[in-house]
Amino acid sequence: MVQLNEIVDNAKAEKRAKFCINDHMDVLIEILKRLDDRSIGVAACVCRLWCALTRNDALWEHLCFRHLSPPPQGVRTVVVALGGYRRLYTVCVKPVLSRLEKMRAGGAAEWERRVWTRHEVELSLSLFCVDYYERVLLGGGGGGRVSGDAAAPSSLMFLCKAVNV
Amino acid sequence: MKRDRDLGKTEAVADGGSASPGKAMMWAAEPPDAGVDELFAVLGYKVKSSDMAEVAEKLEQLEMAMVTKMEDGASALSNDTVHYNPSDLPGWVESMLSEFGNFGGFSGESSSNLIFPNDDLRAIPGGAIFSNNKQSDNKRMKSSSPSAAPPPRPVVVDSQEAGVRLVHTLMACAEAVQQDNMKLADALVKHIGILAVSQVGAMRKVATYFAEALARKIYKIYPQDALETSYSDVLQMHFYETAPYLKFAHFTANQAILEAFGGANRVHVIDFSLKQGMQWPALMQALALRPGGPPAFRLTGIGPPQADNSDALQQVGWKLAQFAETIGVEFEFRGFVASSLAHIDAKMLETGPGNSEAVAVNSVFELHCLLSMPGGIEKVLNSIKEMNPKIVTIVEQEANHNGGVFLERFNEALHYYSTIFDSLESSGVTQGNSTENLVMTEVYLGRQICNVVACEGAERVERHETLPQWRRRMSSAGFHPVHLGSNAFKQASMLLALFAGGDGYRVEENDGCLMLGWQTRPLIATSAWRLTASE
Repeated sequence: MVQLNEIVDNAKAEKRAKFCINDHMDVLIEILKRLDDRSIGVAACVCRLWCALTRNDALWEHLCFRHLSPPPQGVRTVVVALGGYRRLYTVCVKPVLSRLEKMRAGGAAEWERRVWTRHEVELSLSLFCVDYYERVLLGGGGGGRVSGDAAAPSSLMFLCKAVNV
Repeated sequence: MKRDRDLGKTEAVADGGSASPGKAMMWAAEPPDAGVDELFAVLGYKVKSSDMAEVAEKLEQLEMAMVTKMEDGASALSNDTVHYNPSDLPGWVESMLSEFGNFGGFSGESSSNLIFPNDDLRAIPGGAIFSNNKQSDNKRMKSSSPSAAPPPRPVVVDSQEAGVRLVHTLMACAEAVQQDNMKLADALVKHIGILAVSQVGAMRKVATYFAEALARKIYKIYPQDALETSYSDVLQMHFYETAPYLKFAHFTANQAILEAFGGANRVHVIDFSLKQGMQWPALMQALALRPGGPPAFRLTGIGPPQADNSDALQQVGWKLAQFAETIGVEFEFRGFVASSLAHIDAKMLETGPGNSEAVAVNSVFELHCLLSMPGGIEKVLNSIKEMNPKIVTIVEQEANHNGGVFLERFNEALHYYSTIFDSLESSGVTQGNSTENLVMTEVYLGRQICNVVACEGAERVERHETLPQWRRRMSSAGFHPVHLGSNAFKQASMLLALFAGGDGYRVEENDGCLMLGWQTRPLIATSAWRLTASE
């Protein structure tokens, strides 16, 4: 008898102590901010709430520039206008970082811990502009572009394919 | 267990079936024979390269024999003959020939004739085609059919050495053209066609384009005057996408322009080569993000007249305006249509001293076209001076394709375009470029090749010159070089590192100018200039 009561009490205690992360979005966002891109992708598959959170551009802005000190001025308006940080990351930042890192450290060091240099920011942004211009403005009239291929404009094709270094 | 050719002849048919797998196993056990011809190996025949001449001869004779036999109505092939192992090609051929009987007189009488008739391939120097191989001087055997014209002699093409022969033949043909020996050149050009087919990849493409250009020169079929400009724009667009050369040009020029503008409030860029305006979004973005905010940006684009009278310049200007609005840069565009840069003068562009703008002039692959017009380049450089620019950025191909002697021009062009095609070949595969892009890029380069080789006078517009030559020209016109800084160099290096073929591309700094090349050969050069007299 005593045992059964104890069990019931423990169960109630457990219920009280149960913690649902979804109730604490600020904590959740803080955690997501610290993830790498692949983990964010995985997190997006958990539930609809998480999916919506990971689509928030601020998260990707943090991902793009968290290693950059000081964070660049005025970039946000430009980036947002040209398609957002998530796109910047996928199309430019990630390939740029991973390839330049491989070139330099022979692939050994984790690219996440690198510190961005000003030049890499500039280069990524320039390429991002080229991407936008070509995709949005030239996309219709360009010579023989296959409509099904609209995901990546050809100028940045060299960034999309995995490099066998 | 060496393969014994004579073994094939003495075996009976019954053994033929069982002998082949045995032989096949024997061959597999042998180390791969380096001297075996590749093309035959693909078909399953192992023929030593050294025996190729003999085999070729005999095959020719076999063909002749079969033809004549057929005409006679008798078919020796339907007889109950013993066919030996066909994998042993030389032996099989010989056995077939012995079936037909001795045709006599083919035991390699070498001709001591030293006179080279016009189509004689011995004219090719270096013994590449005719080494000590006397067997190739075979005598044609008497054929019963009079209608057969003397067939061309079988030329043994070893694909491994064919590349060298191809280059030799190309040069020999160019020399023939130089000496105005058109008949020889004609024969050589046809030979190039045959040799080119045996090659693969970059060598084949280069050879094909050069052969076509030489043929045009020989037969005086000059290419139609400039294709529709919209088409050539499309081609250059594909070139932009496939290879890093144009991106390098744009990024380095933009860096120089950005630095020259400094903190100016109103800036004006005059672009001699607007095309699709791919250079300017990146500059506008850099201006938008500069500390202190973006200046008012004015762009004047100059372009050639369109065949269908459509206003392509205005369309590009409109797209750039949309882009500028997206990123928040004040933008103004004006387009000028001119069939040649020499028709532009500074007054048209409203860059008089009353304007408080910082002016930049940009030319990518345009200035060399002016060299075909006497006085053209001087006029344009004077106009540029009148525009009073803070900086003039010039990007040109790094090669001397403007020499007076045709042969030298040809050789230079051959090296230059071979290098470019090599770079496309190496980096193209790993870039994920679509075949369409690569093909269009090759067409773009092919047109240049055609122009350099086949055209003359005012039509030859691809008059590339080297950086030292341009330096002399600019200095004598009153310009002073501006060194492209380390920022430009770093950006260029990073850009190239992104290309998978990056181990081949090299950025070099040459006395303040930046050159992009493949392996050891520089291919394009960016330089920046300002007026000597400071005002």
